[in-house]
Amino acid sequence: MKSRSAILTALVILLSMSVLVFSAQAQEGDELVISPQPCAEPGTLTMWVWDENWATIIGNSIELWKTEYCPGAEVELQVQPWGQYWDLLTTNAAGGELPDVFNMSQDRFRFYAENGVLLNLQPYFDEYGVDTTLWGTGLVDPYRWGEAGDLYAAPVNWDTIAIFYNKEMFDAAGLDYPTADWTWDDFAAAARALTDPENDVYGAAVYAEYQAGYPNWIAATGVTPVVDADRTMCTLTEPGSLEALNFLKGLYDEGVMPSVSIMGGTSADDAFNFWASGKVAMITGGSWKLSQAVDEVTFDWDVVQLPKHPETGRSRSIVHAVGYVASARTENPDLAANLILFLASDVGQRFFAEGGNVAPGNPSPELQQLWIDSFGDTGKNIQAFVDATEDSQGVTVFGEIWDAINSEIVVNIFDLDIPVEDAVAQACAVVEEYLVD
Amino acid sequence: MRRLMSLRRSPAGGLSLPGQMLLYCALAAGALVMIMPFVWMASTACKPDVELNKIPVRWLPENPVCLGNLQQLYTTSPHFNRYMLNSALVTAGRTLGQLITCSLAAYGFARFRFPGRDVIFALCLGLLMVPFQAILIPEYMLIRKLGWLNTFRALIIPGTFSAFALFLLRQAFLQIPLEIEEAAIIDGANPLRVLWHITLPLSVPALAAFAVITVQAAWNDFLYPLVVSSTPDTRVVTIGIALLQGERRTPMNLLMMGSFLATLPMLALFVLLQRYFIAGISMGGVKR
Amino acid sequence: MRSALLQWLGPTPLSRRHALWGMALVAPNVLGLMFFFGIPVLMAFSTSFQRWNAITPPEFVGFANFRRLLADPNFHQAFLNTLKLLALVVPGEVVLALLVAVMLNQPLRARNLFRTAYFLPVVTSTVAASVVWTSIFQPRYGSLSNLLAPLGLGEVRWLVDPGLVLIPIAVVAIWQRIGFDMVLFLAGLQAIPAELYEAARIDGAGRWQRFRHVTLPLLSPTTFLVVVLAVINGFQIFDQVYIMTLRTVPGGVGGSATTLTYYLYRRAFTNSEFGYASAVALVLFAAILLVTVFQLRIQRFWVYYEAGET
Repeated sequence: MKSRSAILTALVILLSMSVLVFSAQAQEGDELVISPQPCAEPGTLTMWVWDENWATIIGNSIELWKTEYCPGAEVELQVQPWGQYWDLLTTNAAGGELPDVFNMSQDRFRFYAENGVLLNLQPYFDEYGVDTTLWGTGLVDPYRWGEAGDLYAAPVNWDTIAIFYNKEMFDAAGLDYPTADWTWDDFAAAARALTDPENDVYGAAVYAEYQAGYPNWIAATGVTPVVDADRTMCTLTEPGSLEALNFLKGLYDEGVMPSVSIMGGTSADDAFNFWASGKVAMITGGSWKLSQAVDEVTFDWDVVQLPKHPETGRSRSIVHAVGYVASARTENPDLAANLILFLASDVGQRFFAEGGNVAPGNPSPELQQLWIDSFGDTGKNIQAFVDATEDSQGVTVFGEIWDAINSEIVVNIFDLDIPVEDAVAQACAVVEEYLVD
Repeated sequence: MRRLMSLRRSPAGGLSLPGQMLLYCALAAGALVMIMPFVWMASTACKPDVELNKIPVRWLPENPVCLGNLQQLYTTSPHFNRYMLNSALVTAGRTLGQLITCSLAAYGFARFRFPGRDVIFALCLGLLMVPFQAILIPEYMLIRKLGWLNTFRALIIPGTFSAFALFLLRQAFLQIPLEIEEAAIIDGANPLRVLWHITLPLSVPALAAFAVITVQAAWNDFLYPLVVSSTPDTRVVTIGIALLQGERRTPMNLLMMGSFLATLPMLALFVLLQRYFIAGISMGGVKR
Repeated sequence: MRSALLQWLGPTPLSRRHALWGMALVAPNVLGLMFFFGIPVLMAFSTSFQRWNAITPPEFVGFANFRRLLADPNFHQAFLNTLKLLALVVPGEVVLALLVAVMLNQPLRARNLFRTAYFLPVVTSTVAASVVWTSIFQPRYGSLSNLLAPLGLGEVRWLVDPGLVLIPIAVVAIWQRIGFDMVLFLAGLQAIPAELYEAARIDGAGRWQRFRHVTLPLLSPTTFLVVVLAVINGFQIFDQVYIMTLRTVPGGVGGSATTLTYYLYRRAFTNSEFGYASAVALVLFAAILLVTVFQLRIQRFWVYYEAGET
């Protein structure tokens, strides 16, 4: 009996070793951006994610981790509804219980870091030899905390913003399709030419929530939109912010952009639906809308980089990366860090790249290409979203002001016709309540 | 024959033809407003992806794909039937439990005098006055202390007590003339027997209202089951539906298909129970 | 000691037996309620004297949260919004539901179909309600705008205009509650003996007089139930605010659609101010209690119990 189990153990070890060798061979020749490492000691972890689609993808990666890198480990993966994810996390934290590993977003990170419930992953990155500057600053800077700027999260994915446009409307107006080097002036000219009040068609709409809305235009002027990274000042009254908002307000006043009420709301869905219904030629949209556009849009369309600011020559997309974090209260910090490292590695992220929908946070060119290919042979300029990660702006706004500020400022300016200067003053008054002295 | 008589006796039967037309028109106009979101829900459940999210709202799918969406729902949410079953178990448990605890208590409050009765009743009613959002965290902590997280005990037992059902049944019992029970009480019959043999049979319409509302509330309960259970084995259908709403993309047709399926049992129950809302069924056999 | 206890229970052996029966009957539900809901309510109320972000240990701050409430313009606005909604929703839902219930208590053709239609909002998904109702109030492509177009109102911005936004919220709240109240009224109407209508008819009472002098008084215990529940529910309006403002400005432009429950939810779960949110809940509770006790007090002037005052 005893000898049989010994043989069995030996067999398992041999098998897993051969798998390791095999997988190492498979990757040979490619320089891995992040290499997964075997865990020191298996154990049990609980993990929360908020997206059912992700749960399947992450579930598959975890299976691979368990068989190849950490035999004997157990992970209880739980999907929580997105709409109540943060309420649930708070409720569990209040009860003294947090999952060992969970998904985090940039705008919520600070609250948990400030209150000391997150595990500092920097020592593990150092130990594993991961240089955390490999990720773009927009992706990971919002996840840094403390004097030394330690990184507390590994990015799961990234999403950036570009312009979705209706090619058929460009053809009908006799316009050339926009290119990556177009400017605000080109954008305004195209929007005017595409506007057709007779047929109830607008040239452009750029209001969709914080990430896909006006902050991209402010970022292009070189100003960090709404609030600076240290949370010491409201930046909406900066000249760059006023310039961007007044530029958009000018288009709205000309009737080139619809009011928020006409569009039906300030969410990314409202702008997208308005565009998909053929009522507007161009919208700002996130890379997360690609799969929906491929599935649901019935006209010919494409995407192009955001237009460049005429003086700075920059177009800066707001980028957001969901992160994996670990609880500071976990009983298995080493194991949790090992799992996170695997999920962020080239091997773990392959599932994300192939699963489509969201782009893998790992910057490996091979993975990014896999993601682009995952949409099939669309002929769309999906590369525009990848290029947008280069000069991008991370999220600095936070939960308490996210919708209160962004949707309100948009409605005030682009629906209730409140002058830009008054609207930003009103918004800054709210932001100031939450600033750090 | 019976129908004719009731027509003649009823106020509506006495209406002139234009009056009747007016009544029907008013009812139909109101009903139209009532059903619009439901119609959209049912039709969206059958829309293919390319017909979603159109402005203005489309009331009917052009190329319906009901079965395809149904299959897709089960691919996306493989535990959906399990969630429905869990909801059914929870709903049945809570409703039966409330039927017992609340009819007993309602009878006690309606028919007996005891010290502190009105204060206790007010305290129970007071529990309805605290929004659940305010006690979400304490409720979670209590269930956690009991060690009931992720169990059917947590989903059912607290739900077998209700201030609402207590109030509803008490009001119904107070509407029943006392003389009917008095004879039995003077005969020295045990109050439980009076409740069972006289009061409850006389309250059939109120019990039907209780059933419709309690079942519906238990079936649609969302926040409480959300915080006390997080495994597929104990998740209820409202949470299964919420899981279909993603951060970045919500497949509206699948979401509406799921919502539609979850609504069907509630509709069937209402259609079955509403025949108890017909005059004469409760008082018919009782001479005053 | 023993006799004091007996005296407390009742003056005679019969009344004492009666009292014991009453207590035994109410005990299971009352004890269950107090344990499963009373304890969390007390915990929430004790939080109102603390500063607590749900993560780090709470800190006792005395009445600071309540002092802050007095000076908080957002709280005042939420209170006022709640009262305005209450004034629109309670009469609206009770009158309409009574009307519908009385009509649908007649032997009409397709009565079952009509009853089901009026009950549907109770079981309709809130996502569907949100999509359809926000599109109905959409200023250009919405059904309501098309309906009102001949009046020359132009494009009315129902959901963003701070002066109008409470109206669509009240409409949706009434829409959702009619079916619920109708069920209660329908049940109550069955308890009115048909002989009474017959007797009134013989006395020569017309349709309105029968409604006024038979239906209304005999239905009053149910009406009382419906009104009390409508007030409790009206004070706690939350879902409808969420449904109607999620896509524009959650809680309305400048907080114009924020109700007390919505405000306390935001303070708790968005701003992590659980102590302050609990203070809001306590004030809300006190307000509802005050109105309900008032209603319980005045019920003897208008509620008629067949069983008499017990």
